[in-house]
Amino acid sequence: MIVAKIMYINIKYTIMITKDTIDSFIDKIPPAPKALKETLMHLNAGDLVKAANAAKEDKALSSYLKILVNKPIYGFKNEVTEVSQIFGILGVSRSLQTVYNYMMTLLSPSKWVLFRLNRVVFYNLQADLSMNWQKILNHLEIDDSDILSSISLLPASIIVSEALFCEKKKDVDLLRSVNQIDLNTVLQRLCGVDLFDICQQIAQKWEMPQSVSDILQAASGVKPSRDETIDKLGKWMHLLLFYTLSQTKYIEAELNDFIDFQLEYANDIYEEFSKLMEIS
Amino acid sequence: MRAVVRSGIGVFTPQGFLDGSSGNSFLSIDDIQATIAQNADMILVSLKKVIFFNRNGLDSFVKMFQKVRSANHCTVGFCDYDTKKYNAIINFFQDDINFSLFKSQDIAMLFSANYKNQNKNILLYNEDKSQRAAMAIELHDNGHNPIVAQSYNEFSEKSGAENAYDIIITDTYLGQMGQKVATRVTGNAIIYTVSSFLDAEIGNTFNIAYHNNSLNVGFRLFIFDTYKVISMNVHALNFFSKLSTAGAEYNATICFVGMSFEKTPKEFKETLEDSGIMFFNQMDDILQNKELLEELGASSAANVKDKRAINKTTVTELPNFIDATVATIEMMTNSKAIKESANINKLQIDSKEGKIASSIGFYGDMDGMVVLVFPKEIAKKACELLIGEETEDMELVLDTLAELVNIVGGKVKTLLADEKISVNITLPRTYPDIDSLLEIVQEKKGVQVDLSFNNDKFIFFLTR
Repeated sequence: MIVAKIMYINIKYTIMITKDTIDSFIDKIPPAPKALKETLMHLNAGDLVKAANAAKEDKALSSYLKILVNKPIYGFKNEVTEVSQIFGILGVSRSLQTVYNYMMTLLSPSKWVLFRLNRVVFYNLQADLSMNWQKILNHLEIDDSDILSSISLLPASIIVSEALFCEKKKDVDLLRSVNQIDLNTVLQRLCGVDLFDICQQIAQKWEMPQSVSDILQAASGVKPSRDETIDKLGKWMHLLLFYTLSQTKYIEAELNDFIDFQLEYANDIYEEFSKLMEIS
Repeated sequence: MRAVVRSGIGVFTPQGFLDGSSGNSFLSIDDIQATIAQNADMILVSLKKVIFFNRNGLDSFVKMFQKVRSANHCTVGFCDYDTKKYNAIINFFQDDINFSLFKSQDIAMLFSANYKNQNKNILLYNEDKSQRAAMAIELHDNGHNPIVAQSYNEFSEKSGAENAYDIIITDTYLGQMGQKVATRVTGNAIIYTVSSFLDAEIGNTFNIAYHNNSLNVGFRLFIFDTYKVISMNVHALNFFSKLSTAGAEYNATICFVGMSFEKTPKEFKETLEDSGIMFFNQMDDILQNKELLEELGASSAANVKDKRAINKTTVTELPNFIDATVATIEMMTNSKAIKESANINKLQIDSKEGKIASSIGFYGDMDGMVVLVFPKEIAKKACELLIGEETEDMELVLDTLAELVNIVGGKVKTLLADEKISVNITLPRTYPDIDSLLEIVQEKKGVQVDLSFNNDKFIFFLTR
């Protein structure tokens, strides 16, 4: 009787994550909508009026712009409601950065499982990163719209983690209870590509500038760039990421240790960073 | 935040910046409880990935440490820091340090009684004379050979000698150490370490559930390392007498090693002997005496009179156990499992060559033991995800296999909890060869499921 029961056990498991899972995720990323492409094209040409007109055609984009720029960290005294007004205030580079931020939200899930995130917290994260990145670039005296926009791609690493690992949350938790291993390493060891490689593929699919991907790869902290400028920016971005993820709301969202903080990589800019951010 | 638990040490690793506002968010009492439930008796916060901290940032951890220490008798503190961070912590807390500081996790392990590797040659130095003495005593009691440098000059001189020491300890501070009864497994014996004054508190610090489960899964020899015991009162006497009497049902033996009766009434010894407890002067008097081990039931599970068979309850939950195991191995190897056969019988292994094994016990609403037998190659592959590279270091593979079987145990626990069955899991065991496994399970009946992963054969065996 018992033997009979045992013989009926079916094994119906799924293995963790394969290259196919990743390819399938990339394939499902929709191309950038027409209105968005036009907005970006006009912003890249420096035409804020045409860009605002194009952006107005995309209700979701218009709504996102209003929500984001009215967050306290942007520091506007009065509510800004018109897209043309928003672009006018932000200027070309920051408008471009904000539109790229919106593109990332198109990838984010409606319900987060792996991380304790929601739309509001995710938008806050984008706003926190964007504003502080601008502060860093001002400090470094860098005025480059592509470099300013590169920060927009950083939260894609969180979105990719969520997409790939959300159905394996319990397994991931168990794995990480016996071994200090971050999601980036798990993915690298299982599939030979890491979160930042996937982010790069997203950037390519959405025709984002190459420098955006290059800075992001360096910001992983595990792939320093041979280009001195890119590497320096990667260090600043890596440190900014963990400065941000050390805030209570992101620790509670379980983001603090989703990838490994490479302390040694960022150590040589720490003093400068702490002065800029007034850390004491 | 989750802790990683290894060798009885639970380590939390916050990253980035620790200040007053964030410190509270990293660690909750639930996180601590979950860590203690994994048999951790040392709870540490690693500062390896922390680039900035201030007093307020550490304060929230320290407050949590105090709660944990008083409730669970654990050793608590910080680890993985450089000299600059160590000096900052000492400066922040000055004379009010009631937690420990271990420069690295390797150093922390030396002070954990659960640590299995002994006889390390250790050079240690601390500015504070009493700290030097406290560390030397702890290390000596844990079976190591501490060499204490009495001055910084002496330390500099000695630490310059190449390969003279296995480990050098500096920038380490012992706060109040844990008072939990430490447990470690040596061969087929379980060794508990007790110290100081034994009184009614032993009932709280001794993990009776773990002990009972060890009896259930076949352990028959329990050794109390009592070298550090100063005295015992009547409450502790009653506790040990009852423990021994209860173990007699399983034909188990309790031994006391190194117990001095200078400050304990001599008649207590007679009472304990009457309840079946045996006394030895040295640990090696037992562990190096094969005949005695056999007599005491620690050389083979064949001596177990009460052979417990697999029962219907366990079989009903069998899919959960196989699910947990297969899903874990699939996760670790990223390859699919194929079930080849399933039988109820004694464990049958066609060829013992080139195989290693691991086991984990579970107890609670149901009890039993999961045994996994791997060809070395599949074990190495399964461990690659955790180790990060191919390795021929079998000690590392066995250690990692213990982590893997811990994941299996954790998964079993979760799956059974979904069905409202509550179990706890024991520390995992690993076996470098099949003969050492068979000493434990060869007479036990159980369910054997033969599986293959990419044509590599793998055995799952569930028994009681």
